[in-house]
Amino acid sequence: VNARLRPWRALAVVLTASGLALGAAAAAAAPGQPSARSGGHAARAVTAPAASTCDPKASSLRPAGPPQVTPGSFMAKIRARGYLVAGVDQSTYHFGFLNPLNGQIEGFDIDMIRAVATAIFGDASSAHLHLKAISDEQRKPDVMSGTVDIVAHTMTISCDRLKYLDFSSVYFDAHQRVLVLKNSKATSLDDLRGQKVCATTASDSVARIAAAKAIPVPVTYWTDCLVLLQQGDVAAISTDDAILDGLAAQDPWTKLIGPPIADEPYGLAISKQHPEFVRFVNAVLQQLRTNGQWAASYRHWIGTPVAPIPQAHYAG
Amino acid sequence: MTTSVDVSSGPVTTAPVVRRAWWRSRLEGATTPARLRLLLALLILLSLAWGVLAALTANQHASAAADVVAVSEPLSLDAEQIYTSLSDANATAASAFLAGGLEPAADRQRYQADITKAAIRIEAASALVGSSAARTELPGHLKNQASAAGSAVGDDLAMLSGQLPAYTDEVGTARADNRLGLPLGAAYLRAASALLRGTLLPAASDIYTRESALLTSASAQATGLPLIVIAVVAGLGLGYVLYRSSRWLSRHTHRVVNYGLLLAALAGLVSLVWLAGAFVAGRGDLLHAQQQGSGPAQAFARAEVAALQAHADESLTLIDNTGDDDYQKDYVKLQKLLGPGPGTLLAATGSSQAASQAQAWYRAHQALRAQDDAGNHPGAVAAAQTGDAARSFARLSTTLSEGKETHQAVFAASARNGRDAFTGLAVGMIVASLVMVTGCIWGLNRRLAEYR
Repeated sequence: VNARLRPWRALAVVLTASGLALGAAAAAAAPGQPSARSGGHAARAVTAPAASTCDPKASSLRPAGPPQVTPGSFMAKIRARGYLVAGVDQSTYHFGFLNPLNGQIEGFDIDMIRAVATAIFGDASSAHLHLKAISDEQRKPDVMSGTVDIVAHTMTISCDRLKYLDFSSVYFDAHQRVLVLKNSKATSLDDLRGQKVCATTASDSVARIAAAKAIPVPVTYWTDCLVLLQQGDVAAISTDDAILDGLAAQDPWTKLIGPPIADEPYGLAISKQHPEFVRFVNAVLQQLRTNGQWAASYRHWIGTPVAPIPQAHYAG
Repeated sequence: MTTSVDVSSGPVTTAPVVRRAWWRSRLEGATTPARLRLLLALLILLSLAWGVLAALTANQHASAAADVVAVSEPLSLDAEQIYTSLSDANATAASAFLAGGLEPAADRQRYQADITKAAIRIEAASALVGSSAARTELPGHLKNQASAAGSAVGDDLAMLSGQLPAYTDEVGTARADNRLGLPLGAAYLRAASALLRGTLLPAASDIYTRESALLTSASAQATGLPLIVIAVVAGLGLGYVLYRSSRWLSRHTHRVVNYGLLLAALAGLVSLVWLAGAFVAGRGDLLHAQQQGSGPAQAFARAEVAALQAHADESLTLIDNTGDDDYQKDYVKLQKLLGPGPGTLLAATGSSQAASQAQAWYRAHQALRAQDDAGNHPGAVAAAQTGDAARSFARLSTTLSEGKETHQAVFAASARNGRDAFTGLAVGMIVASLVMVTGCIWGLNRRLAEYR
């Protein structure tokens, strides 16, 4: 099976490389960009690149009040176009997955993005929301190139990604953990030293697997990891508990083990070109936190008890 | 020519010829009965030599032609069928998966039929390679080539029969998960498709390539000229010797016709005409089989497989449904390969109907992609399953598969005719040479008796 995956991996390497090249190009272009941004945002641009002061959980832009489509804004452009284009996952159970029963992409992430579309267009018609299923490694390049307006894809806000993208405030608190088969004797990632552990290419889990001296096996989708685990080709899968819960829900013969390895705060990714959209999305998220919709989505997709709602912290 | 004149006229003179061979002086000094006995021995030897040469030639062509019909053709046909069935199974499984939990009964049956067909063909090919009795008679280099190909083909077939259950297992799991509404199903389908394309199809393609090469070699051997030319020249030479012998006899014995030698000459003539005639007829049939049969059939088969893979890509793009578009890139690649246009697979088939049907499908595919890219995934899925794209692909697929089958039938009929042209030829050559020997003995013994 590993031999079969090689072409994917080769492709992954190419895509990662091209992603990095894109990132580098954008970084090179960055010095010239702050002037093109709105004044309020320029102040943050000075402080954000400094890695030492970076706090992924408090890096977003403060909303100016309730969500409003101001004339000339990116939201107005989207409204004129008629639909919002969102890059989403289609294979992560409970967050973004293609439901074979109705052919629709559904999940917690999709609820968040649907709320954003509803706020822009004033009605919940699905015609106003185009969901574009993308892979993990396409998230960054697609946001940067403007292929999608926003990404809702179990995407962790990280200092590295903040160099290239803007994120909304944290809408979900996840933690990296480990999923193994029920008969596994491993109790944490440290017990899997020298064994194969699966993660998706371009996820930040890959580096942590390598750091724990396990052998990372990168694939395209999280469900591909579950295929490998079921076929006995990897000993474990390591990523955010939110994703692992979705995999465990598809195979009752698996279990989550070990303490949280790292915090994985999820945010909606938006291009650095549209700070007003970041503020708008944060305003929508703030509404969801307070009007009970966030808790309702959590209850529907993830279950009870409902976790504490992640509170928004802003940098500017 | 001059030497024969010397021998037959045989003037017993004392002319001082210095460079005379020892046997010639012996012959000239010999009595007529001794000369007759020598001639008889020579004729028997030549007749037997002719018999051996002609039978060998006949056997070479017959076994090469038999190999074309009995081993190479069935094996390459099996390999082609394995390849096509697997490609069709993959395309059908993907298309059925798109329908969700309630997959269409027709798709399910088609998938099952494809898998069954592939399994039967793998088994048949394995049996053929395992026995490969027909190949033991193959001449020289062809035999070496066949045994080398045989072991490689054996490995490929072992791989196929080992991995086919793994493939159907993954498709089955994909189907079960899909039925439960789990996204895991799509992952299993992708894994199955990767296994099929990465392992099973290359093995089938390898068998096909090797067997096609062998088919070409065997066909070339059956229709090749060198040996038959040598045989015909030898036959004509033997006829000339018989003619000179009877002239010499009639001069020395004052009888116009020696019936024994006449019989030998007739037997020689019949065997020569039969050999040459069988060769011309067999060669014609085998060349026809190649040019009007296996050649075009191969072209259609290649186009069909490329179309099937592109169709699987169309479905997998919709199942995968990410902007990742590996499958769509592959579709575009296959579209370029398929044509129509100079140097493409469709151009090789020469079918204008297939060309226009392919273009209709590309247009429908483009419309489908535009729909999907605009966010209308359900609409695109409907187009791929029952809409324009599905119908235009079905038309193209039917044209290509019918074209292939028509030419395969032409090949089978012509190749069989070609093989049959050589039937009994080797035995006939041996019988003829024995008749010639008998004729010579009978004819010359009657003259010899006159000296007793």
